[in-house]
Order: sequence, then structure tokens, then C-alpha cells
Amino acid sequence: MTIQDLLDRTDQNDDRPVVLDEQGKREVRRAVLSGICIPGYQVPFGSREMPVARGWGSGGLQVTVAIGGRDDTIKVIDQGDDEGVNAVNLRRLIAGTLGARTTADTRECTITQSRHRIPEERLHSDQVLVLQVPVSEPLRPVEKSIPECDRMHAEAEYAKIWVAMYEDLVTGGVVNASSGYPVLVNDRYLMSPSPIPRWDVPRLSGAEQLTVLAHGRDKKIYAVPPHTTVVPVTFDDVPFEVEYAAGARCELCGSQDVYLVETRDGGYLCSDTEWCARVRDGDIDPIRHELQVPRSHYPDPGRRVRNAGIELVGRSGLDHTEAVGRTAPGQEWSLAVEHLTKVFGGRLGSSAVRAVDDVTFDVAPGEALGIIGESGSGKSTVMRCIVGEEHATSGVVRLAAVDEGRTNVLDLDDSRRRALRIGLMSVVHQDPAAGLDLRISAGGNIAERLTAAGWRSFWDIRQRAAALLDRVEVPLDRIDDVVGQFSGGMRQRVQIAKALASEPEVLLLDEPTTGLDASVAAGVLDLLRELIAEREIAVVVVSHDFQVIRALTDRALVMHRGTVIEEGLTDQLLADPHRAYTQRLVAAAHV
Amino acid sequence: MREQILRVDHLSKAFVMHAIDRRVESLREVSFTVGRGEHLALAGASGAGKSSLLRCIHRTYLPDSGRVTLTTDAGPIELTSLSDRHMARLRGRDFGYVSQFLQAPPRMGPLELVTGAARRRGLGPRAAADAAAEALGLLGVDELLWDVDCAVLSGGERQRVNLAAGTVSPPQLLLLDEPVSALDPANRERALQRIEQLRAQDVSVVAVYHDMQIIRRLADRVLVMENGRVIAEGDPTDVLGRHITALEEVAL
Repeated sequence: MTIQDLLDRTDQNDDRPVVLDEQGKREVRRAVLSGICIPGYQVPFGSREMPVARGWGSGGLQVTVAIGGRDDTIKVIDQGDDEGVNAVNLRRLIAGTLGARTTADTRECTITQSRHRIPEERLHSDQVLVLQVPVSEPLRPVEKSIPECDRMHAEAEYAKIWVAMYEDLVTGGVVNASSGYPVLVNDRYLMSPSPIPRWDVPRLSGAEQLTVLAHGRDKKIYAVPPHTTVVPVTFDDVPFEVEYAAGARCELCGSQDVYLVETRDGGYLCSDTEWCARVRDGDIDPIRHELQVPRSHYPDPGRRVRNAGIELVGRSGLDHTEAVGRTAPGQEWSLAVEHLTKVFGGRLGSSAVRAVDDVTFDVAPGEALGIIGESGSGKSTVMRCIVGEEHATSGVVRLAAVDEGRTNVLDLDDSRRRALRIGLMSVVHQDPAAGLDLRISAGGNIAERLTAAGWRSFWDIRQRAAALLDRVEVPLDRIDDVVGQFSGGMRQRVQIAKALASEPEVLLLDEPTTGLDASVAAGVLDLLRELIAEREIAVVVVSHDFQVIRALTDRALVMHRGTVIEEGLTDQLLADPHRAYTQRLVAAAHV
Repeated sequence: MREQILRVDHLSKAFVMHAIDRRVESLREVSFTVGRGEHLALAGASGAGKSSLLRCIHRTYLPDSGRVTLTTDAGPIELTSLSDRHMARLRGRDFGYVSQFLQAPPRMGPLELVTGAARRRGLGPRAAADAAAEALGLLGVDELLWDVDCAVLSGGERQRVNLAAGTVSPPQLLLLDEPVSALDPANRERALQRIEQLRAQDVSVVAVYHDMQIIRRLADRVLVMENGRVIAEGDPTDVLGRHITALEEVAL
């Protein structure tokens, strides 16, 4: 073999146009390999400029050009059509660049680049499907912040997507997503299989081919390797449906069990033009095709949410009599705080502030502890340090339910602490907007907590939400109303219902009635008192209002300038305050 | 000799009022005991320290020195040094305090209030509601009022609700602070009968009364207080005859 022979076998030695240099190709291949290793994970890559506009398949083009070669046979389709203008142009570009052959016959190709469809012909293990992606981030509709989306993927915390499903079901009765239906890949990563229709989603799962999805503008590549499970996100008791109209058939070839598109005059045509032509030529293998028909997902109107005929039960569905608060072994508490200190560092000439200085207390199940003090006394900072919204400078926080109280919760990483807030420890904020999403329904807000805690049955979630809302005296017919339309007192009730949704062992109330007018506040206070009394739950109430502390708590701490200056039984603190500061505080409150 | 339920040793309490820089002595070295089922009355002029004594036992006031020992099923417990948490649990369950004025949480009705008291004494939800209804009935609280906000009740009605909450499923020791002071004669008689019945239930009572006839009728023993001290103790007929006559005459 001569050097000239070797050069002949490389791309450098001819005059074919180069749309992606070798460096670019290697980077794309590396991203594809990473994507295969972590199915469904969006691998970032340095997307290059392509001779097509972004949004016209530049991501898919880079992948095809990077993984393809002279020996490949390329098929390009757009909306299922080999002869679409975009498909024709991309095919010519790819073939010209790679020196590869092209075909319309799926059976012959080695790489299929597609927008919108997976070919009706079942792909096999020697083939690669490259999908051009218009929206790569499945969480984009529910979360605008990119770092937040990344965090949710990292922690596999997809409650918001479930809430979006819940909202779709209560407003429209069906899940609205058409193309880009969210799927869970390999039981780990949420993925947008866009741009394929729901019909093609089940056909991705366990498929023999490698599927690579690429988005040029977002600079993301992800993959579904052969034989990988791809599960559409849906509640256990709400069936996932593909697009299928009973009785509809292609006007040209007569096929029924394929993905059909509606024509302007109400008829139907095969979306896959190659398949349609081959059916007419009698050139198909119906048994092989049948293996891939998503028949089990055909719509069954009788099983839809609207037709399920299930009545909401209300508060009688609540049963928390078995909920028994946990204590650490040999201890009485559910929550213990030891020597908690928070110093806000000085900067730009302002001095450091010891907002919380050596605060120690513990709370037992069935007990409510008050923390009282004027604005700036540090009481809310104590709360935020316990919850994890603020990083304490030093000190220890223990929860009986975490490692039997041996672990300092403050040492856990943010994701563990976030998980604690979903199951174990709930917060009711002064501002309902801090604890609720005002853009979604009352039921949806409660669904968020429940789905985060692992609930996957639509009707269980809905019944539980109804029971909780009824318990906090929100009328059941408002369960599907957007919380932003609720009054302040009603929002606070919804927030309380959400806080109790996962039966927490520790409940933290931060000025729960402060933003409300007197009569509404009295009602909320009344409700909290009942809810606390009927549960074996450890409660901490932070307030500057003695009425709130007196109504809700057995014991209380008085905070002043970051330190606890007095503590005792609540009635004793009010009737017999010892410190000068407490006496002034009590006198000023006229209690 | 009766079994001892409560023992108070050298209990002292002073209030330090920082705003006016004054110290007010309220109790000075008070000591006494109460036996099981015994009815002990506290007598004396206003400001003598009777109510303060009850509140120091209940820990609504924190005593400065001295000891309060309560005999419970689990043995004797010293209350002045007991942790707040255990004190909160003991209250209501092992001993009750009926203050002079009803302090009900906002929007709470008599039935709910009394039911709550019965629940804290260990009754189940149904039994507590039944006991509460009975207690309110015994004190003549009109059933029409059982679910209205306590804040709208008259003074006498509130006092009877308060007494009902104290006497429902009664604990072994009750502290009563002028339990019948605001009642008309008919209701007062009902309330006194209810307090008398406690003896049959073996409930010990420490009570403050201003009416000497009530003390003679109900009490086994009386402590006469003056200026924060116990100045006399003994059988009501003897002690009142010697120490209270003048006061009583003034009152009459």
C-alpha cells in the first residue's frame, strides 16, 4: 500500500466541501459517546456554524456529518417525507460532504436523519437514527431558570413536570403535550423526545437502533442507546395515549395502524411517504411492522379522567390518627437546636452582625414552641437556618428522623436538606407566595408536594388534595382555581394544607398570620390550633405577636439581639416576665 | 391520716418591676400540705397573696424559692424545678387550675373548650364530648350557647364554662380561684354542689373564696393569709371565728 492509497482513504485528499472540520467532528463524536453512556442526559457540545440556519436541523446535521463516512447510506426525512424541500437540501449537503450514497428506502440506509418522525419501517441494530431537536430541555415549560433545570436533572427531582401533567388533566381532561411528550429514559433522566409525535414515543423504548438527538442552538446532544427503556411520564391511573382515530385510514394506501395526518378536507394520509408508497407496491413486512404498533396506547375515552366517575370525598378521607411523632432514642425531642449562631459578615465598611448568637432549644412531638421577639431580634434567621434557606455560621441542628438524631443536619448538602423539606419538615411562610406557586391551582400546589414525595396516582393525589383543602376550609369547588385568584387568608390556608400534605414530623410557622387582617387572622389561627392539636407533630412558631404565641404554644423563648434572654411556659412568660426587656414587650402588647 | 397529694414548703415569690424599679413581695415562706380528697380553702383580704399562691403552684408565676411537691401516679414530683415541657404535660392532666377569669382562645365555643380539657385528661374524642356536655349541663350552661364564641358570653356564663372545663373528668388536684364570685344565687348553688361532688370523686381542692359561708360549708381546713404569709390554719369554724370576723363583718 502506498501513501497515496492511504491518503485516498481519508477525507483530506479530495475536493469535497468541508462543513465540519476534524476537530469539530471529534468533539461531536465525543458528545455522542457521552450521551450513549448516560442515556437521556443532555451533553453540551460546541455547536459549530453550519451552512443551514439554526433551527433548520443544524444539530442533526453536525451529528450525521461527524459519525457518517463514505461507506454510509443516508436517508433524510422531514415530517415523514423524503421529498420535503428541507430534506432534499440536507440530503444533498450530507451526501456531497461525506461522499456517501443516499436512499429513500429505510431498509437500506445506515443513518436516518429525521425531523418529526421515526420511520414506520422498524429500524434494526445496524442503523442509527439522528433526530433534529427544536426543544431539548423537557423542563423548559415549567422552569425558566437553566441552573434550576440542571439541578432538577442532577437530583432527578421532577415534581414540577408531574404538576404540569396534573394541571393539564384537571383543566383539559387529557395531557396536552403533543410533540415533545416528556419521557423518563432508563428510569433516570427526564428527556424531551421532541420532535416525534406521541405515536412514536413507545416505539423508542427497547428499540434496536441507536437514537441520537441533537440541538444545534442549545448546543446539546443526547442519546437513547439500543434496548433502553423509554417511559412516557404519566400517572399510574391515567393511561398514556397515542394519536389514533378509530376507523381512520390512509386515502392512498388504506393503512390504519400507522401515524396518519389529517388533510384539509377531513381525510387522512400516511405521514411516512416511503411507507405509503411501499404499501401500495406490496413491498412491506406486516408482521415486522405490527411489532411496533403502539396498540396498547390507543385512546380509551372510558378510562379518561373526566369519565372516571370518581367523586371527591373531602376531609373524611383524612386519617392521621396513626401518625406518631418520632423522637431520638433516649431523648424527648423531634427537633433539637444547639448553639446555633449566624454571623452576617461585614463588607463595604459595615460591620459584621451576630444575627443569631448561641441559640439552643428542642421540641417534642405534640409540643408547640414559640419564639417571640421584635423585628430584627433574629427569630426569623433561626427559622431560616433550620430550614436551610440560610447557612448557619456554627451550631448543630438535629432531627430525630434523620439518623436517629446523630447527624448534624447543617452538615448535609443542599439536596439532602431540600429532600428533608419535602417529607419531614414543612414551613408555612408569612407570604403565601413564598410557599406556593400562584400560577397553578390549589390542588396543583398540593400535588407538587405529593409528587415530590413520590405519589404517582392521579386520583390518590386529587383525593388527598381535596381532603386537605376541605380540612383547611377551602371550598372543594375551588380546588382547580388558580391560587393567584384567592384572597390572602385563603392563600394562607392553601399553604397550610400544602405544608401538611406529606404529614411532616416538624412544622415551622413563620409569622403565619401577620399579613392578614384581624378577623381572617383569627380564623387561620383557629385552624392552626386545631391542626396542631390533632397531630403528634413538633411545632415551632415564630412571631412578634403575643396573641399568636399564646394561642398556639405551650412554651416560648424570648429573643433579643440574637440571643435567647428568657424562656418559660407561655402563660408564665406573659403573666410573670422576669427580664426588663420582656416586661416592656409584654406591657407594650397589652396582653 | 389522709394520703398527701400536695406539699408546699417555704414558697416565696417577689415581683421585680424593672420599669419602676420596684420589688413587691408577694409570698413569704408559705408552707402547707393537702391530703387526698381534702378541700383546703384560702382566706384573707385582697392582696394577701391567695391567688399568687395558686399561680405559683400552677407555675403561671415562677416561684423564687421553696418547693412544691405533687404526688402523682408515677410518684412525687417537685414542680418548681420541673422542666417547662414536663410541666406543660402535667398541667391539665394531673392537676387543674381554674382562673378567676376565663381565658379562651379566640372563636372557641364552650363545648369545644371543655371537650379540649377533657381530651387533655386522657378521654377519647367521643367520651370527651359526652363528658363536656355533662359538665356544662351540670353547671346550667344553656345548650344554645355551647357553640358560640366564648367572648360573647356574660361574666357568669364564662365563669361556669371555666368551672366546667376545670371539673370535667377532674384530675386528682384542682386549684380554684374564686370559682363562684360572679354567679347569681341559683347558679351559684349549682356550682357549689358541683364542687361538693368533687369530694366524692376523691379530688383534692385548693380554693380561694371571699365568702366565709362557702368556706364553712365546703372546706375541711382553711389557711388565713395576710401580707404574703400564712397567719392561721385549721378547722374553718375555729380559725374563721378568731381571725376573720372583723373582715367578714365589713364585707357583710
